[in-house]
Amino acid sequence: MVGPRTAQGLSWVLGVVLAVMFLVPLGTVISGGFFVEGRFTLEYVWGVFQSPIYAEGLLNSLKIAVGTTGLVTLIAIPLAWLGNRYEFPGKRLLSGLVLVPMVLPPFVGAIGFQQIFGVYGALNSLMGWDVDWLGRSRYFGVVLLQALALYPIMYLNVAAALANIDPAMEEAAENLGCTGWRKFWRITLPLMMPGLFAGGALVFIWSFTELGTPLMLNYTRCAPVQVFDSLKEIGTNPFPFALVLVMLVASVTLYGVSKLLLGRHSYAMQSKAATVSGTITVHGWRGLRVALPFVAVSALALVPHAGVLLVSFTEPGCWYQSVLPTGWTLESYREALGHGITVSSIRNSLLYSALAVLVNLVLGVAIAVVVVRTQVRFRWLLDALAMLPLAVPGLVMAFGFLAVSLYLANLEWVKSSQVWSQLLDVRMNPTLFLVIAYAVRRLPYVVRSAVAGLQQTSVSLEEAAANLGAPPAVVLRRITLPLIVANLIAGLLLAFAFSMLEVSDSLMLAQRADFFPITKTIYELFQLIGTGKYVASALGVWAMLFLAVTILGASLVLGKKMGQLFRV
Amino acid sequence: MKVTLEHVTKRFGDQAVVRDVSLDIGDGELFFLLGPSGCGKTTLLRCIAGFYIPEQGRILIGDTDATRLPPHQRDTGMVFQSYALWPHMTVRENVAFGLELRGVPKDELRRRVDEALAMVRMTERADYRPTQLSGGQQQRVALARALVIRPKCLLLDEPLSNLDAKLRLEMRTEIRRICKEAGLTAIYVTHDQKEALSVADRLAIFDQGVIQQCGTPREVYERPVNRFVANFIGETNLIAGTVVEADAHRALVRADHGVLVSQVLPAGETLRAGQSVTVSVRPEVIHLGEPPAAEVNVLRGELLESIYLGEMAQHQVAVGSLTVKVFDLHPKLLTRDGHRKPVTVWCRPENVVVLTR
Repeated sequence: MVGPRTAQGLSWVLGVVLAVMFLVPLGTVISGGFFVEGRFTLEYVWGVFQSPIYAEGLLNSLKIAVGTTGLVTLIAIPLAWLGNRYEFPGKRLLSGLVLVPMVLPPFVGAIGFQQIFGVYGALNSLMGWDVDWLGRSRYFGVVLLQALALYPIMYLNVAAALANIDPAMEEAAENLGCTGWRKFWRITLPLMMPGLFAGGALVFIWSFTELGTPLMLNYTRCAPVQVFDSLKEIGTNPFPFALVLVMLVASVTLYGVSKLLLGRHSYAMQSKAATVSGTITVHGWRGLRVALPFVAVSALALVPHAGVLLVSFTEPGCWYQSVLPTGWTLESYREALGHGITVSSIRNSLLYSALAVLVNLVLGVAIAVVVVRTQVRFRWLLDALAMLPLAVPGLVMAFGFLAVSLYLANLEWVKSSQVWSQLLDVRMNPTLFLVIAYAVRRLPYVVRSAVAGLQQTSVSLEEAAANLGAPPAVVLRRITLPLIVANLIAGLLLAFAFSMLEVSDSLMLAQRADFFPITKTIYELFQLIGTGKYVASALGVWAMLFLAVTILGASLVLGKKMGQLFRV
Repeated sequence: MKVTLEHVTKRFGDQAVVRDVSLDIGDGELFFLLGPSGCGKTTLLRCIAGFYIPEQGRILIGDTDATRLPPHQRDTGMVFQSYALWPHMTVRENVAFGLELRGVPKDELRRRVDEALAMVRMTERADYRPTQLSGGQQQRVALARALVIRPKCLLLDEPLSNLDAKLRLEMRTEIRRICKEAGLTAIYVTHDQKEALSVADRLAIFDQGVIQQCGTPREVYERPVNRFVANFIGETNLIAGTVVEADAHRALVRADHGVLVSQVLPAGETLRAGQSVTVSVRPEVIHLGEPPAAEVNVLRGELLESIYLGEMAQHQVAVGSLTVKVFDLHPKLLTRDGHRKPVTVWCRPENVVVLTR
């Protein structure tokens, strides 16, 4: 219950806050790519395509994205279809388990991945082979590792689309004599297209701009790594801006196209499942057969992380050309928790993530209330603005934030004041920028979950309270929030989990060791010759354990509605 | 407390959903807004509750101008169509909520909640959650929650529409009992005419955002002012005709099959000879069989169809080109082989209503 004038004011405030948090860094990237020395020019954007190095980087990134999206589709469709059709023993647990890789970033898994699939790794030792699984260029390694991390997004979207299909559609087809594969091709697949498009667009953008995986696998000839390597020249060289701009335009275009196609295919949503869906319950051997793909995919997806776990217990240098490590130790854990930089990084990550979640809570609830519960004229714009971070690559945002910070840091009034430069110069203290960056990237999940909660809650529950004399603030505290608390917790847990192991912002914005978050510390340790890899793994294991628990909690709270958080 | 509406108009976009509505609802009156779905009655109720602000006109609750007051400052108790019981609170907590906000001291709060729950006979379910209750029980709790704050006026938005037929009958007398015991002013929205006729002190018939007629149930039923009201309330035979002659008490109207004599004429209007009018005759005032001598409205026709309904029978009688509905309250004439059987029907002039609109 918000009065029309309050709603108007609130939506203005929210619009301005979102603009500052989201549009300013974006605008900086755009103007940095187009305007050089105050003059509009296409020279540098064009130059990106002319330069053999940058053009190759973009092409390689495109190849990675195509490969990853294809592989993800092949993994996700059968899983989603089985999950939709069959009720099998352990379904609840298994359909939660296949989601776990989503929050275990491939960035960390890469350490274990190399240990297992490398030429001198565990697999070749086991089988007595000599195969270079990652490929000389490491292309296959990057695609496989990313696909194993990103398939849950596709799975959730496709599963949601399937759940939306009225079983009567398929029954009608059967009634007319169309069954089996033909029914799948002619009826089921076209009807689940919206889910495929939505999931596919997200996976494509994500893998196109992913920085962590190629960086850790040392695949340097792709655009995100090139951007990362050129950060030092950010003040003097317009090319990084132009490269980031090209990636931004490509991503947003793709997002737009997928939305357009989604609109055209929206007929699938017109008739919601009216009848009870015809799930088939299977037990015993048949149940096991249906459950097997779920087990296999989760197991495969967890191989890199299992590798990390093993590395963390390995005596330095004792896992080379052998199936398992030959020497075991707990030393890495002792070091991981004793090392000054690791302990402070855990503390830093917790602080940044907690603050970001707090920002998300306030913004998310306010935006959801304006969008669902008021009649403000341009509320759809607010909604769209809050959802856009899904379409804009994290790398672009991180680059934008860095550019904004460096610009502000060079202003006289910032330079001359200790307080301002602590706040605004990431080279001094990245807290503010990291919190904003973490928050804005995860805002869509929180907004979606709050919106879903409000939509499921009848307005008259709030009206009844207002009618009995509760002013708006009391209605919010006593009625609205308690009713949507499950949705909110789930959204916030996700936001928190994603922030804890965030890669792009962390690697780019944190520049002083005492302000490093976990991921940056892992990266820096990994670069160290000697024990670095092992300590990095130990730190990674701590973080992953923590996250797995968080995400399982979220999926238990939210249950089936989890998929709603990942739809475009 | 009395509620006054003055020229209230509410628009959504270009569409006026409530148009220039004025009403005086007296203190302690049980007032009904009755109309088909989409007629604007719920919109008007929500204007009174403060969920909508009308573009024009004033709403007074008691003597205070409440037109622009936010909902939580109006002291109206509303019973929602969906009940809107908060699922995260128990029955007792739901009912206590309004009193808590009013800062009622603990023991008084407890006493008043108990009283309200007793009034709706829900004392035993006080610690249940709303989802554990049946529809009728939820309805009672919603009523208790609105009553317990002793509102200036009680607003009921189709409160019985989600209940089954038997429970509906029980609850509507219950609501009337409670309102009268508490001496409450109540405004009750419904599309169910039986509900309105049986419970209301007065009612307003709504259509297309405009009040068509306002009066006691008897006035509205027996003396409808236009075709819409005659047709909407109860069932009727509408017969087109032309005035032959008329004075202040009586009119002769020529229809296809002959002349009808009416003693119910539109108020504040004189009928001219030759004027086109509609005549409304309720099916239950038409009698089957030979009339007493000296009856003027006698029609001869053929029986088309009879439907047996237990307490009465419904007949369709063809009189010339006209088909007349007749309700026979103690069914005598019921022959399955009575098809096209000649019959005589008649009615008294005081039951024949002339409508000009």
